[in-house]
Amino acid sequence: MKFLPLVLKNVFRKKTRTALTVVSIVLPLLVINLMGTFLRALDRPDPGATRGMFRTVTRHKVSLGNPLPVAYFEKIRQLPGVVAATKFTWFGGKYVDQSAKNFFPRFAVEPETFLQVFDDAKILAGSTEEWLADRTGAVVGENLVKKFGWKLGDKIVLVGDIFPVTLELTIRGIYQLPDGNASSVFFNRKYLEEALPSVAGQVGTVWVKAADGPAAERLTREIDTLFENASAPTKTESEKAFQMGFVQMLGNVKLLINGIATIIVFVIFLIAANTMSMAARERVTEVAVLRALGFGKPAILGMVLAESLVLALIGGGLGILLFVLAEPALKAGLMASPMSGFAASFDLFPEVLAMGLFITISVGVVAGVVPAVQSARRSIVDGLRRVV
Amino acid sequence: MAEPFIRIESLVKAYQRDTQSLTVLTGLNLAVDEGEFIALMGPSGSGKTTLLNLIAGIDRPTSGRIVVGGLEIHGMGEAALAKWRSRNIGFIFQLYNLVPVLTAFENVELPLLLTDLSRARRRKQVELALSIVGLADRMDHYPRQLSGGQEQRVAIARAFATDPKLLVADEPTGDLDSKSAEEILVLLERLNNEFGKTIVMVTHDPRAAARAHRLVHLDKGVLKEDIRASAGQKEVGMAAAIAAAAGTELPG
Repeated sequence: MKFLPLVLKNVFRKKTRTALTVVSIVLPLLVINLMGTFLRALDRPDPGATRGMFRTVTRHKVSLGNPLPVAYFEKIRQLPGVVAATKFTWFGGKYVDQSAKNFFPRFAVEPETFLQVFDDAKILAGSTEEWLADRTGAVVGENLVKKFGWKLGDKIVLVGDIFPVTLELTIRGIYQLPDGNASSVFFNRKYLEEALPSVAGQVGTVWVKAADGPAAERLTREIDTLFENASAPTKTESEKAFQMGFVQMLGNVKLLINGIATIIVFVIFLIAANTMSMAARERVTEVAVLRALGFGKPAILGMVLAESLVLALIGGGLGILLFVLAEPALKAGLMASPMSGFAASFDLFPEVLAMGLFITISVGVVAGVVPAVQSARRSIVDGLRRVV
Repeated sequence: MAEPFIRIESLVKAYQRDTQSLTVLTGLNLAVDEGEFIALMGPSGSGKTTLLNLIAGIDRPTSGRIVVGGLEIHGMGEAALAKWRSRNIGFIFQLYNLVPVLTAFENVELPLLLTDLSRARRRKQVELALSIVGLADRMDHYPRQLSGGQEQRVAIARAFATDPKLLVADEPTGDLDSKSAEEILVLLERLNNEFGKTIVMVTHDPRAAARAHRLVHLDKGVLKEDIRASAGQKEVGMAAAIAAAAGTELPG
């Protein structure tokens, strides 16, 4: 502790260099926390299950693009452990144009059963009665209302691509889910069936609200077994796993993220090590003087390492702090994006922050160890002879 | 006869440069009494700084014995030597070698950090050291805010802050103007006379050497002359000896 003032003064000896090094650690740490949180969110237990909403999703085993016979719905609904079931059909199409900013999930659903399966949804404005009374009615997520400035009674025109029809929907309700995921539009499937009668015999996915966790787990197996030898075999999974499937469509996301994070960590090591090497090289004579005065090798080693550690902790600490401060905004941004299903899990994870701190400390130690050893080992006479 | 404070016997120092071996000191013998102020002179490459480094325990001899204050330092391990230096040796360098990010106070405090002294006691000692060198009012100044002479005075305060018995000075006036050099020499004399410090000083400057009690002249690693000033005639005797050794006329 007696040497701490000297360590701190050395850290800020070259202010510009220190500032640049700190920034070069802050930004990667911010990104690493972001990636770590993303990965952790991917592995997080089903948020629906944790709040008692044990939902499963059944789709065609081959792909989401293949519809299921509508008759499956009744068979699934009658299975033991099923509290409620509802039909979803992905409408797709475009709103205004095909740009990403105007993209949001749009589903044709059965309003009565939809409200039973998603009984944790809160209608913030309008009412379910108004929705049920209007065949062209739709409920829209609160996030979309904020994004597009919609209000009750507004018309939304969706131009179909999978289904060659144009639907004009009227906003009859604004919903919000407990996890904040409210970025979709749900409208009455009867409206779609009237416009396109062939849709009546098929359904995209069947959503089930199970009685409890074990029932949900059992149902994922039972439903698939039930249709194992049918013309349209199914794949049933938890709501969370289903949503993660969209994220994983991006490829092997985890591998990609881990790869990028590893490269980032390696680059920070190099930057910090370079700074510490320069700092140590500039102070060869100074270190020799300290050693002549009686500072032993362990003291020199400790001081250079501490300097490296302090530098890394300032950068890493700021990076972690920035991430903590930015996380709510990032989450809100994800909520309003096509990844809204995943966004509900995008929280601050203590283990991710701890990992950030561990990386920070590792950067400090690894970057400082070589210059520290070199400083401690250099002969005093050689150091005093050196003209810097 | 009392044991000298520094006793050097058959001291050899050779450096290995690639395949070549360069012998800097060749079987040197020297004894320095406690409280002496000696000047090491000689041409460049004569081995005077090497001898100073060996006496101060920052370099190791190839062979021979070095005993300082009754302790055989030639055989000591690195950690023990570092500890010994921190308690027994004060260093004064030609280029002052103050830590630029530390104030005068903090620079003088550096060697005291290696002791068990309390913060308050350290403060007292630093203030005393700085007042002895006449810089009590510059404690919070950084080296860049001081003149060369003031920097060297801070360096001297750092050298004796731990109250070591031996001060080693390598060209302490080599980078100073004549006025500042004079101030430094007066200070060294005072440390020798009033505080009883033994001083071994390497110098090329005849005026600096004239302040010493004794002149040791080295050439090619061998002790060529060892001249002691007689009591009461120190200045005249030494000055003449230096002039003779340097082959020059006395200034002024």
